[in-house]
Amino acid sequence: MTTVVRLENVRKEYGDTTALDGVSLEIQAGEAVAVMGPSGCGKSTMLNMIAGLDRPTSGSVRVHDEELGRLNETKLALFRRHRIGMIFQFFNLLDDLPALDNVALAAQLTGSRVGAARQRALELLDELGIADRRNVYPAALSGGERQRVAVARALMNRPALLLADEPTGALDSRAGEQVMDLLLDLNQIGQTLLIVTHDERLATRCASRVVELTDGRVTHERTLERA
Amino acid sequence: MNAVWRAARAAVRRRRMQTFVIGLVVLLSTTTIVVALALLSATSAPFDRAFARQAGPHAVALFDPTVPADQLTGQRTGVAAAAGPFGVVTLELRDSAEFGPPGPLTVVGRADPGGPVDKLDLWQGRWPSAPGEIVLNEPVQDPDDLRPRPTALTLDDQRFTIVGLAHSLAGSADAWVTPAQVAELRPTATQMLYRFSGDVSTKAAVEADLAAVTAGLPLTASQTYLVVKEEISADVGVYVPFLATFGVLGLVVGVVIVGNVVSGAVVSGYRHIGILKALGFTPSQVVAVYLVMVSVPAAVGCVLGTVAGALAAQPLLSEGFQGLGLDVGIGVGPWIWLAGLVGVPATVLLAAFVPAVRAHRLSAAEAISAGSAPRQGRGTRIQHRLASTRLPRSVSLGLGLPFARPGRTAFTVAAVLLGVTTVTFATGLADTLVRISTIEDTAAGQIGVQPSNGRFRIAPDNGPPPAGPPATTTRTNEQVEELLRGLPQAARVTAIHRLPMSAAGQTEPLPVNFVRGDYSAMGYAAELTDGRWMTGPSETVVPTEVMRGRGLAIGDQVTLRLGGGQAVLTIVGETMDGPFGPPALFVDWNVLTTMEPERVVPPWDVFYQVQLVPGGDIAGYVAAVGAADPAIDVWNTMQVSDFLVTVVSFSSVLSLLLSTVAALGVFNTVVLNVRERRRDLGMLKSIGMTPRQVVTMVLTSMALVGVVGGVLGIPLGVLAHRFVVPLAADSARVSLPQAVMEVWHAPTLLLLALAGVVIALLGALIPARGAARLTIASVLHNE
Ligand SMILES: Nc1ncnc2c1ncn2[C@@H]1O[C@H](COP(=O)(O)OP(=O)(O)O)[C@@H](O)[C@H]1O
Ligand SMILES: [Mg+2]
Repeated sequence: MTTVVRLENVRKEYGDTTALDGVSLEIQAGEAVAVMGPSGCGKSTMLNMIAGLDRPTSGSVRVHDEELGRLNETKLALFRRHRIGMIFQFFNLLDDLPALDNVALAAQLTGSRVGAARQRALELLDELGIADRRNVYPAALSGGERQRVAVARALMNRPALLLADEPTGALDSRAGEQVMDLLLDLNQIGQTLLIVTHDERLATRCASRVVELTDGRVTHERTLERA
Repeated sequence: MNAVWRAARAAVRRRRMQTFVIGLVVLLSTTTIVVALALLSATSAPFDRAFARQAGPHAVALFDPTVPADQLTGQRTGVAAAAGPFGVVTLELRDSAEFGPPGPLTVVGRADPGGPVDKLDLWQGRWPSAPGEIVLNEPVQDPDDLRPRPTALTLDDQRFTIVGLAHSLAGSADAWVTPAQVAELRPTATQMLYRFSGDVSTKAAVEADLAAVTAGLPLTASQTYLVVKEEISADVGVYVPFLATFGVLGLVVGVVIVGNVVSGAVVSGYRHIGILKALGFTPSQVVAVYLVMVSVPAAVGCVLGTVAGALAAQPLLSEGFQGLGLDVGIGVGPWIWLAGLVGVPATVLLAAFVPAVRAHRLSAAEAISAGSAPRQGRGTRIQHRLASTRLPRSVSLGLGLPFARPGRTAFTVAAVLLGVTTVTFATGLADTLVRISTIEDTAAGQIGVQPSNGRFRIAPDNGPPPAGPPATTTRTNEQVEELLRGLPQAARVTAIHRLPMSAAGQTEPLPVNFVRGDYSAMGYAAELTDGRWMTGPSETVVPTEVMRGRGLAIGDQVTLRLGGGQAVLTIVGETMDGPFGPPALFVDWNVLTTMEPERVVPPWDVFYQVQLVPGGDIAGYVAAVGAADPAIDVWNTMQVSDFLVTVVSFSSVLSLLLSTVAALGVFNTVVLNVRERRRDLGMLKSIGMTPRQVVTMVLTSMALVGVVGGVLGIPLGVLAHRFVVPLAADSARVSLPQAVMEVWHAPTLLLLALAGVVIALLGALIPARGAARLTIASVLHNE
């Protein structure tokens, strides 16, 4: 087994607030880890550290044997581009681009040609069941559709690690259900997954391990048997 | 680069409004800048080009005629090229009319028009080859437009045949004859023409060069080319300060607004930037996306703006340069195109660079959260205070809005401020020019009268030529005046006789206007810029240009000589200008009569100005004079000056342009504010704010900006007027009466203060109504 993520004693302070207070965590390849806890406990902050979107105040973040603290902004961008796929609660699609191009853009960043990128994007949208919405701009998509576009975009570059921050938080229960199934399927074909959620159902359904965070510390860990 | 291009292109396409505003702002700013630069360069370039082609002398030096020629040609310190020695003699032109007013003429003996220096443009006829032949110095004209003229003239009782016309830009002589002829006339001086290899950019530098080459020689007089250049530039130079002011204002407004628009695009794009970064765009790629987003419309705007500016400058240029004797083509030079096409985009990129670098530094996590949750700003405390006032809630909310984004508000205020400054300056300028023109028109009367000399007649500027062949009147000049006074509706008549007079202490003759009649009552006194009006024949009033050119001052005494007599006059006042024609001393006609009692002034050497009673019928009076004596030419002088029209239309166009740009700046700010506050707007509407209240709120926020911009912009415009107008007058070598500068009064200032509010409200109206129409559902759906 290879270790994909290793956090060692990570602290993050925003002025007076301590968002993360000495977090250590390891994630192995193929695992599906759910991070749970009350709102404001530091879940998003931890995810941002792993994605290289933000830097810890102290401690070490290693992802795929890269010490993120040693990477400059450009290297971090390249790291995200190739290794990480991200899904947000509020989707964060580019309003300027229709669904297909939102997805394709991720591949074009790595140097793919438009044709090839669109081809793969279309395949992904098709797999996620929204190929017919490919030319629609985000503003006109439903929440569930937007999140599926976001998932497709995250998968574009076959990331080693898929990070999801409350992926069902803005969705109704039916759309949430579908996104959950999608993530479960992905994990079953080997995708390493880190999901931030406070939805117990999502955690037990998709995750093989649950990490509980309280006030910026890991307070509880349990391994789940999945059906 | 592929992904950068796609992201930028999508952003440009979807943000049509922002793209359009940037493009338009750059276009209008570029147009202003190119016009200003074209006119600025035109003030010196044409002279320099024509002067270089003639290999014009940097200095014309006169020596005592007894100095041997080899001594003059032997010295060559710092000299690139020299011509001479040429003999010089001053001869008196006796017969007037065809060749301008009678007076002394500088005649130089030269074997040929070419040579290493002062290559004359012999544009008609041939060079003199025998005694009795002469070539006159005249600016090049279209030969078809030349009036039929005598082929000979009398100088000092000697008859000369005119064999050609040549032009010396440096004005090295009034006429040329063969060297043998000059020798025979006994030259009073020897002329040397020098081109120097050293620095010739200033009068002092040229004089130093001249001193080096003439060391040890008996130099009697000299003139640098800068005097001539300045004379030619003075005509055009009066435009320069105005244009430079508008140009600088346009440039600053352009930069301020481009900077504001671009930084607004970046700030409102924080979430966009965060997403790009989360996706894996490197910081430099993010900067590139934002620079491309701005460059596309800016490039289009500056190409169109440069072309528009070049087209707009062309008519102004050809208008301004007619009749200055410069036959070299005038146009928008390559460096101006370069400035428009390279300088403006560089400025835009610079303006874009600062906020783009902020985007570079922004951490992705911060950017994304900044986009979804507007930070608690400095505005909250002010909002809190305003909430407890008695103002309607929509007004107090609007008043608080500008404080939420202090930086953006400051830029918007700056744009409005500069717009108001421009409008203020332009208003003051137009008012001053109209006042000047009114004073001059009043003083000059409504009607000009000049008896024909029997050889040709004067056609009014815009009217048909006078009927009938030239004839001379049988009346004396006094009788003509009597006739003019006797006709119905005549209120005041002034008779003016121009005569260059030799004067003690002056090397060149002093131009004098001998005036008789109602000259004091006609209004010339209103042109006084210093001192007082003349009260008797022993006093004189002098235009600024003559004062400066001849080194005179109020209180000085001038001794005029004519025939055997002489007259001593005291200078008691300085005036802006004077009657038509080159500026000259005002001297009472009695002085002429006293100096030379037996002198007869023919009526055709006198120009008459007539003022009618209020509401008088000008056309009727003109017709009456023509009927009474067909040999007298008479015309309506009430014409609007070209200069006035040019400057006023130019300044109106530019203030309109800059106000539009400023309004666009406000427009952009409101678009951004509304976009950022969509969620707040949705919330306000969900708790019951009506669309009308939304509009009120947004307009209030910008009205505040307009008031502040107006209050600060007016003093700036007034200052610019105070400073720039006298500067322009100075380069035209006139000074201005105090009355024409006092154009600021409470009602004008109040109207101007409104200009700021109007600019702000016009810019805010469309986006405010857009905000009012936002539906809550779409706002909430999209967040
Ligand atoms: N950019 C930021 N600036 C200041 N404080 C922040 C920022 N991001 C998060 N925080 C604070 O850090 C703590 C943890 O936040 P977050 O990780 O977003 O919580 P969660 O995702 O678990 O709800 C909170 O107290 C939050 O207010
Ligand atoms: Mg969170």
